[in-house]
Amino acid sequence: MQQSVQTAQIPAPQSAKPKPEPPKAPPQFTEGSIANLDVTGLVAILKDPNASEFQKAKACMRAGELADKQAVPALAALLPHPRLSTYARYGLEPVADESASQALRMALSKVQGELLIGVINSIGKRRDSKALPALTKLLYSADANLAQAAASAIGKIGGEMAVKELRVALGKTKGQLQLAIGDAALVCAEQFLAAGKRKEALAIYAWLSAPDVPKSVRLAAMHGVIREETSPGRPR
Amino acid sequence: MNTRRELLKIGFAPMIVPSRVLGQRAGAVAPSDKILFGGIGIGARGQHVLSKILKIEAAKFIAVCDVRNERRETIKSMVDQAYGDRDCKMYDDQFELLARTDLDAVLIATGDRWHTPLSILAAQHGKDVYCEKPCSMSIEESWALAAAFQRYGRLYQAGCQRRNGANFQLCKDLLRSGALGKLKALYANVGPAVNWPPIPSRDWLAEEELPPKQVVDWDRWLGPAPWRPYHSSYVRGGWRNFYDFHGGGILEWGSHTVDLCHWAAGLDDTQPVRYEPEGSNAGPYFVHCEYENGVKLVMRDNGWDGALKTGSCSFRIEGDLGWVETGDQTRIECSDNIKPLLRPTEPASLALENHVKEFVRCVATRQQPSAHAAAAANSHVTCHAAFIAFQRGKTLYWDVKKRAFTNDDVANNMRSRALREPWRI
Repeated sequence: MQQSVQTAQIPAPQSAKPKPEPPKAPPQFTEGSIANLDVTGLVAILKDPNASEFQKAKACMRAGELADKQAVPALAALLPHPRLSTYARYGLEPVADESASQALRMALSKVQGELLIGVINSIGKRRDSKALPALTKLLYSADANLAQAAASAIGKIGGEMAVKELRVALGKTKGQLQLAIGDAALVCAEQFLAAGKRKEALAIYAWLSAPDVPKSVRLAAMHGVIREETSPGRPR
Repeated sequence: MNTRRELLKIGFAPMIVPSRVLGQRAGAVAPSDKILFGGIGIGARGQHVLSKILKIEAAKFIAVCDVRNERRETIKSMVDQAYGDRDCKMYDDQFELLARTDLDAVLIATGDRWHTPLSILAAQHGKDVYCEKPCSMSIEESWALAAAFQRYGRLYQAGCQRRNGANFQLCKDLLRSGALGKLKALYANVGPAVNWPPIPSRDWLAEEELPPKQVVDWDRWLGPAPWRPYHSSYVRGGWRNFYDFHGGGILEWGSHTVDLCHWAAGLDDTQPVRYEPEGSNAGPYFVHCEYENGVKLVMRDNGWDGALKTGSCSFRIEGDLGWVETGDQTRIECSDNIKPLLRPTEPASLALENHVKEFVRCVATRQQPSAHAAAAANSHVTCHAAFIAFQRGKTLYWDVKKRAFTNDDVANNMRSRALREPWRI
């Protein structure tokens, strides 16, 4: 009987069925050495006006892995680029330094449309509370998609101020935006629960249970109350 | 007054009244009691799952959404033919499908990049979800998926159908009964490197002329994935093996086999704390993992048929008293002392039908399906962490509570991916 857990005792791998050869990438679209560059080399590519979109895209992704603040200005410069903006955010999102937050906040007034939504999404992901005033203004944007993105970011940032703004906005909106605001408030409630602020979380669930709240959010809030009140960790 | 659907959505199980009391044919399901399905991105794999839904009397599939007109028409034709009506509605915008208040559940069978964002959107719209695997593109997406389904109290069934395969269940039972003794190690076959190397390519294919939007809407096809030039190969299914669309061979099969290991060993709520990669991208390759309790998990590239020819997606359990191994061939290999405990099982090929039936039953009764979102999150995080260790080429240590690697900052930066605007999770 085999009792060992050593892989050496596992029979050798069987040959696999080969697939038809897929198309090959042309040389200009091959990542090559970019995958191993340090931040200095990456910044050089990002700033080089002769570097291709492909090279810059790969440099952004590599910069995101290294998350070195030295790359922030060069990455921020690509945020308005219609094809590379996602890649720029790929590079910026993991950077722990405040300069990355600042660059994204500054981009709020520099980019528009879907690129702006991307910037808002990255701000939310980074939970940048300094962006709350700007995001609150965007919550009332005439562009519903922009407003929904702002709501989602505010929810991820969380905290008492975020909840206050979301509650005010909930009563003034309808449809998909109201759904997004409700979702954001639910996220805030979970953050309160994780921080041990049960009372604050239950207060959110209470106002989200009102009849004029979108049904899926209302039911989620009721579900939250039931989950909390039946939790073994509930204070008794 | 609350409708049946509203009561279901806040977790009330329906009162069971025999159908004959209501004057119905014994065994028949009233149209108003059927679980109503929509589907998004139903290609070849999705059609396989859909064919099982169409057989279930308690369910009805009534809406399909796809960015490709040809696919929408194909699915409508398939559904209408099965039901003998013209009721299946077609959409090219997922928000329009999700806005339908009559839908109970959504089948998501798009490319991997869409799985988490669409599943979360569906939960936000109050839908239960059956989603094909892999369920996520990153560690961050895995956690977001589980959180959303907990938040909304929606049900989620990952397409990890082997949890409902009889031969796999027998292996699990043998472990849980104590016949194998104390658990020592689990072995999960991962995607053969010759087909799906552990590290997919970050290259782009040469740009081809963009087809008309009504043929392929490239922007919508890319969805949350970063922009790249159009090439028809991606759209024809060649998107696998490209990093922006695919999590590599570890996730491709690990989402099934690591999932099986977790399920069998009762590890659905945790992840290994150590990941040691071995081998090359050309294969064979391994990732040796260890859980906090000392149990080993070995992800191994054993080709298509598994080490003991038990078939694709095979897994193995080793205890201090015996071992078992099975895969898609149904056959179970085991140590001599376990052989008297074996019994014939139904074919592994029935797993998908059982899995879909389980989901429909759960939607009706509000029970948690076996491949629920939290279980999927834990098995997918395990695969993503192993994938990152393989890319880093070093042993990584993982803090389960902090959800972070403890010995590599770059690895931590690889836990998430930026989503292309306007998509988010």
